[in-house]
Amino acid sequence: MILLLPLIFALLGAVFVLGFRDHRAATRAALAIGALEIASLGALVWQVHSNGTQQIGRYLRADGLSSFFLMNIAFIFGLVLVYSSGYLRHHIPEGRFSSPRWFYALVFLFLFTMISVCLSANLGLLWIMMEGTTLASALLVGFYNTEGAVEAGWKYLIVCTVGIAFALFGTIVLYLAAVQAGVNPAAALDWVALMDAVPRMSFDPHLVKLAFVFVIVGYGTKIGFVPMHSWLPDAHAEAPTPISALLSAVLLNCAMYAVMRYDAIVSRATGPGFPHTLLLIFGLLSMVVAGLLILVQRNLKRLLAYSSVEHMGIIAIGLGLGGPLGLFGALLHTFNHSVAKSLLFFGAGNVRHNFGTLRMDGISGMSRTLPQTSAALVVGSLAIVGLPPFGLFISEFAILSEAFGQARFLVVALVLVMLSVVFGGFAYHLLRLLGGEPSGVPSSSKLIPSEYTVMGVAALCLLAFGARIPHLFGVLLQEAIAVMR
Amino acid sequence: MGLVAIATGKFLSSFSVFLFLTVLLMVVARRISTSVLLFSLQSAIITAEVFATGVRERLPAAYVVGALVLLIKVIAIPLVFFRLVDGLKTPRDVKASTTPTQSVFIAGAMIYLSYAAVHSFGQTVHVPEDALAAAVALILTGSFLMVSRKKALMQMLGLLVLENGIFLAALLTTFGMPLVIEIGIFFDILVGLLLMGIFTFRIRDTFDHLDVTKLRRLRG
Repeated sequence: MILLLPLIFALLGAVFVLGFRDHRAATRAALAIGALEIASLGALVWQVHSNGTQQIGRYLRADGLSSFFLMNIAFIFGLVLVYSSGYLRHHIPEGRFSSPRWFYALVFLFLFTMISVCLSANLGLLWIMMEGTTLASALLVGFYNTEGAVEAGWKYLIVCTVGIAFALFGTIVLYLAAVQAGVNPAAALDWVALMDAVPRMSFDPHLVKLAFVFVIVGYGTKIGFVPMHSWLPDAHAEAPTPISALLSAVLLNCAMYAVMRYDAIVSRATGPGFPHTLLLIFGLLSMVVAGLLILVQRNLKRLLAYSSVEHMGIIAIGLGLGGPLGLFGALLHTFNHSVAKSLLFFGAGNVRHNFGTLRMDGISGMSRTLPQTSAALVVGSLAIVGLPPFGLFISEFAILSEAFGQARFLVVALVLVMLSVVFGGFAYHLLRLLGGEPSGVPSSSKLIPSEYTVMGVAALCLLAFGARIPHLFGVLLQEAIAVMR
Repeated sequence: MGLVAIATGKFLSSFSVFLFLTVLLMVVARRISTSVLLFSLQSAIITAEVFATGVRERLPAAYVVGALVLLIKVIAIPLVFFRLVDGLKTPRDVKASTTPTQSVFIAGAMIYLSYAAVHSFGQTVHVPEDALAAAVALILTGSFLMVSRKKALMQMLGLLVLENGIFLAALLTTFGMPLVIEIGIFFDILVGLLLMGIFTFRIRDTFDHLDVTKLRRLRG
């Protein structure tokens, strides 16, 4: 029953919030339901931790890996919701689906699909829900109804739907391989049944590999792997800032989660060589291309979007290396990256409010005009480039140690070079934003409580994870790793 | 192998010829409404193949899926398209970026390519090679339509053709996925189409045209 609660609250929330036409009332309703939602997610994570895997019927299941990602969703969703409550005071764009109540309703729907992705026991259901994430968020990406937003929304919808059609094909091919090997068709898409069957029965290795290629291209489109990343910077830059944070910090992780599930099956069926090599190739390619593109960006949110592509590359590299430290680093990095990227997007949202633009060549001297936002951007940037004492340093260090341990020096060299390029890029852009003569007068230099609370929480969390991984978090992380073995 | 099985097998491979025909006609069609009618016809052929598979494999679930395809793809989606074409009040030509001759050659090459691609798989999965090739050809032409047609509506149609191909491939190789999953996929397609419809109106309202190749503001 506790497994259903987060799903029910999210759906109810979407319907409930629609009933409030008034902006303040809608915000209050969303915050109340959001609190319930987070509590139920927390309860579910705790339940999985103390009583092991939870399952309802054949289609819903929560194990250690799901609960690790659910924790991530709950934390970021909480931050985003509180931030949105202040953010929406600035913009009330025109349009049928562009009002605070629709904003919150679609956010809850988006949340529902992402939680369902993590709770799907069946790979077919997982596909349905992954497509659902695109559908639920497309109107949010196009929320502002400007030329850019409409273009980004259309591109997002088309590119991700086509990409995910390939993932459907991959799912079908894996189903075919399972049925041919003699798995009962009713259970041939069930993840646990597949993990069970793969070592015992002989799956056609060609079919399994073919399936993985389609799946990694398909879900890789949603992760934002180069060269399927074209939708990502547009959607991140044009969406309202809280949505950019949700896309970057939660959606990309959910897509990565799907790839991890497939990777585990395929690694068992054909040995880890093939899927891990593919992950390494996509990871390195994304890191190199996105790292170089970071240097030439002019829009702050596009810069952050390319940084997300780069970090998804790092996570893919961690998964591709495998081994105890690689997997540990990759999972830890999904969480650390979410927190740091949300902090940066929150900062970027404030920049937009105050200067009405995100073009970085038009803004300078921010350290004097917007000291608090500047501090948030500095902390976020230091964290995102992987400097100690922040959490991302630990996870990147773990991944690099694994690469060293396996004597993959080409990987190590490429990652290190790109990390320094990204560091240079961020330092260059940030110094130009903060330094120099102040350009323009900000509309409101002080942060409101909802803004500095979420930024403070995110910054403290990054610092805490850099110092020491909290005990309970470490245990949950180990439980997630145990599922993948 | 019983008589029914042989008959349905022949039926599947001979009907794929009609699928190739719809594909070839679709790439030369000049008007959006013609393309939509062809899509409807194509889906009708696929419906027949679903029922044939149901008979051959004695799968009652296949009849439900067949009825869904008939309702959604043969009837509902084309109707929605016609309403969109009316409501949007845009010029009705597809605005191809390739000439009809080029398009036919490309489609022909794609059909050849699909036969080459399925040649090795045909034996292992025990399905008529023609039918499987038709599925791959639908996927390829769907993608081709998406990249070579400038109208937003034609991109949606290309996506649907591509989806038809994936559906056909699933039907032929696995006799369809579990019913719940099929229904979920149909639901996604419908909602996706609805959203794309909303976005076509927004594109027209903000840009005054439906030519998606001119959406070029976001770069880099």
